[in-house]
Amino acid sequence: MIAPWILLFAPLFVAAFILLVGQRSKLLSAGPAILGALICCAISWWLFGQPETTDPIRIDWIDFSKVFGPDSPIRFTVSIGLELDSLAKSMLVIVCTIAPLVFIYSVGYMAHEEGYGRYFAGLSLFLFSMLGIVLADNFVMMFIFWELVGVSSYILIGHYYSKDSAAEACKQAFTVNRIGDFGFMLGILVFWMATGTIVFGELPDAIGALQSSPFWLATACVLVFCGTIGKSAQMPLHVWLPNSMEGPTPVSSLLHAATMVAAGVYLLARMFPVLVLSPAALEIIGWVGGITCFAAGLMGLQQNDIKRILAYSTISQLGYMVVGIAVAPVYGVAMFHLFTHAFFKCLLFLCSGSVIVGMHHEQDIWKMGGLAKKMPITFLTMCAGGLALMGFPFFSGYFSKDLIIEFAFEKGGVPAWLALGGVILTACYTTRLLWVVFFGAPRSDEAKKAHESPLVMTGPLILLALPAVLAGWPFIQQRFFTIEHPHHVAGWVPWAILALLFIGIIGTILIYRGAPKKDPVVIPFFANRLYIDDGYRYLVRWVQDGTAQVSGFIDRWLIDGVCVNFGSRLVWAVGFVFRFLQVGNLQAYAFFFGAGVIILLYFLIS
Amino acid sequence: MNPLLLEVIVVVLGIVLLMLEAFVSKSDKTFLAWIGIGGLFAVLVASFFTVPVPADAPYAAFYTTDALAMFFKRFSLLATILVLVMGIDYAPTVEKFVPGASKGAGVGEFLSLPVLTCAGLMWMVSAVDFIAIFVSLELVTISFYVLVAYMRRSATCLEAGTKYLILGALSTGFIVFGITWIFGVTGQTNLAAIATVLPQLPASASAALLFGLGLVLISLGFKIAVFPFQFWVPDVYQGAPTPITAFLSVGSKAAGFVVLVRVLTPFLQDETIGAKVAGVLAVITGATLLFGNLAALPQKNFKRLMSYSSIAHAGYLLMAVTSIGVAVAEPAISFYLAAYLAMTFLAFLVMALVASAVGGDDLSNFNGLARRSPWLAGAMLVAMLSLAGIPFTVGFLGKLYIFEVALSAQHYWLVGIGALTVACGFYYYLQIVRAMYWMPAAENAAAVPVSMTSRITMAALAIAIFVFGIYPQPILSMLG
Repeated sequence: MIAPWILLFAPLFVAAFILLVGQRSKLLSAGPAILGALICCAISWWLFGQPETTDPIRIDWIDFSKVFGPDSPIRFTVSIGLELDSLAKSMLVIVCTIAPLVFIYSVGYMAHEEGYGRYFAGLSLFLFSMLGIVLADNFVMMFIFWELVGVSSYILIGHYYSKDSAAEACKQAFTVNRIGDFGFMLGILVFWMATGTIVFGELPDAIGALQSSPFWLATACVLVFCGTIGKSAQMPLHVWLPNSMEGPTPVSSLLHAATMVAAGVYLLARMFPVLVLSPAALEIIGWVGGITCFAAGLMGLQQNDIKRILAYSTISQLGYMVVGIAVAPVYGVAMFHLFTHAFFKCLLFLCSGSVIVGMHHEQDIWKMGGLAKKMPITFLTMCAGGLALMGFPFFSGYFSKDLIIEFAFEKGGVPAWLALGGVILTACYTTRLLWVVFFGAPRSDEAKKAHESPLVMTGPLILLALPAVLAGWPFIQQRFFTIEHPHHVAGWVPWAILALLFIGIIGTILIYRGAPKKDPVVIPFFANRLYIDDGYRYLVRWVQDGTAQVSGFIDRWLIDGVCVNFGSRLVWAVGFVFRFLQVGNLQAYAFFFGAGVIILLYFLIS
Repeated sequence: MNPLLLEVIVVVLGIVLLMLEAFVSKSDKTFLAWIGIGGLFAVLVASFFTVPVPADAPYAAFYTTDALAMFFKRFSLLATILVLVMGIDYAPTVEKFVPGASKGAGVGEFLSLPVLTCAGLMWMVSAVDFIAIFVSLELVTISFYVLVAYMRRSATCLEAGTKYLILGALSTGFIVFGITWIFGVTGQTNLAAIATVLPQLPASASAALLFGLGLVLISLGFKIAVFPFQFWVPDVYQGAPTPITAFLSVGSKAAGFVVLVRVLTPFLQDETIGAKVAGVLAVITGATLLFGNLAALPQKNFKRLMSYSSIAHAGYLLMAVTSIGVAVAEPAISFYLAAYLAMTFLAFLVMALVASAVGGDDLSNFNGLARRSPWLAGAMLVAMLSLAGIPFTVGFLGKLYIFEVALSAQHYWLVGIGALTVACGFYYYLQIVRAMYWMPAAENAAAVPVSMTSRITMAALAIAIFVFGIYPQPILSMLG
């Protein structure tokens, strides 16, 4: 099967082409990037239609057994394998459908920006890395691509690298992700040591040794989950995602809402056959997801930057997906929410990008207002996205989110209540966003002069609005995920969800109706993001700087002074002595030769 | 096609080149090198269309064409082609140091003799009988005596030739003596026959056998430059013409290792004396690793540095040889040597160009090369990274295989020494990188002129270092 390889490597090729050749003109950078994304899109849909095969798609990169023989104790083999099960196929479709739309939209959004070629090369590199994560059939490959999306995310967040806040944000995103990835790597090592395999397909069969010790199994699972905490911005490593909004809006849309941040959930889905063996690990995962989902909703209530509101909503929705993994008997439940969320959140970000362009790069919602008439397409599509996000009946989010909450109540426990509480928070912050931006009177001159965006931007919005509304409907869901609805859930739960939703919407409209140029509700605790960011700042200042000083002292005086310098002088001295053996005199050489002969024969024969 | 024909063609090619040199009155002799390169390349291609020698052939007792032999025949051909490529650019230097009545006199032989050496190397890697080994070894060694001392107006070159000749003759004496002892004990010169005789020998014969083997080991140790028979290396490498230095450090060493592997295999696999031989080899390995790497640290001359580095690499190779008795080591040795060929020739190619442009081969001559000739510096950087063993280069994979073999043979302390000395290697190899990229250049320094041939060759070698460093399977499948 060559198609998956083309799918994987086309974006890499495009990225290289743009960097080497295409940077000179806009056409040569955007054109190949869009073409590459469209190729990926076509192949992914074609693969989706193909029947499931069991042939492994795999090449042996380095294979010692071929050289040293099958009986040799050297069994070192590194193979590159692709996994094309239904999970990978549906994820491919999500990524490859959204990517070309965002690429096309970027042509309009980035039209007057610097670093056009660099931007599209970065996007293509990201697409390559993301597809690598989706297709990887083993931990090591996934980890490599995992780090690669980290790199492309770093590059793209820091696109306006001359701006201090962007430079800080990309640095923070990279550093915070390292913390999670370190845990992920440890988890991989634990699995590898305990089972001897890193291939996902072989893990459930080889898990026996680890399964006999629930503690270690749970530890390994939670360590791997650390990767998700970092990449999917779960508490307490969520701080980087809102700051990553410093990047261009299409980047926020594709990487930091629809696909990359969902990689963490995808990882959990990949690991699902192993996770179900460890109830303790699922419990922890459920708690982390529930807390994230609720706390991020609280923080989102009081943000004023249009993109940051959406960023906190992304964190909250990712929390739902993580809860979905923890509570449902199949990974399809979480993946279903990932699926619908990808479309409506991508749409919301692109709409906000359209608003930002219309407002001449103003992002504060308290400078907007009354945009509904001036930007009708953006308004309608953003409403569709917003209703889907809230879980308004018969919009896509309604189907997927309710399913997670129902499964959570079937399992019971605190995470279920946190997830339910998230519903009203979602309704509140989304309504607040839509109301303040699109209704009422304009709050600034820019808002008065705002205009609708060009077709290259509104086109993708309309195209995305369709799946944002429809993707959750059962006839589509059944094509992608097989899910049985929960049977033992209390009858009041669906009604409670609906009630909370409408209370949230109506309450928010009542509060913000006719709101002036400032937020009438001020809750510093929420606005300051529960003071978590400040806490980290103090932690970094006192703990890290302190440690750095102490270790700097040790490094300079103890390690450099004693170990390194002494060691290097010693080695040098020995080398110097050896050099003196090299006298250049032939007789001396013959003498050494003879001495060597005598010593060698003595040892050999004695 | 009979593989014996390959050597015959190479010998005929060498004679034809000598004839052309004598009878064509052209002052520019580089056309000889081009004919040589073309001919050797044709032989290289032809080597893929040979059929193995049948076991009942009359010469099968002393000539084999197993995978190892075929791999190293191609290896020798490639090495010789690279020597000739270097020789084309080096011809003016040779001309300067060789007295002659007419212009270009003396350059011709310099470009034809390596072809004859190549024939010797190709025989050597096929030899499975002590007599054949000795004859082919001498063919190689004698042609090297001529080549090392070729520039007879240069005092250092003559000195190098003398040292190589005298110490080489000494070591030849040892191998002949050793062969007679082994023949005396076993009654055989064929290595396969010796392997069958060994288990039947009485215990009292083992001292005499080990004595003979020790003498052979001394001579081969001289060829591949391991401690304590490596003293000739720095002086000879520094004095010899640069293409010959590269040839000596790659071609001669590789063929020496093939012979060493063939000779030692029956003894190392023997139950009574195998452990003892392996023990002595392990001590030699450790000493070679330490000597080569530590003595390289204070070097200020590039050719001397490369000579110690060549000793160090012999140490790593010997690590795998030591493991022959318990592990399959041949592929690791072959892969390492293939990697060694690419990176050593790349380094010497750059060095020869820089030395002839700047007028010296000290490390300080490389100062600021990156600003003058960035591509040349880049090529040298690749060679040095690979020699040091940075991942994604062939040098790294070569070391990985060797260490893997040594670990599976449970030579833990050798691996320990190996790991430490690799760290030393980083220091002295990256010293050159430091000179090229961070040291200010001399004031009158200009860009180094590079011919198109050298450009293509260097690019090919640098690419090969990375390609096979990332995807080694093509080479591995040639070995298996």
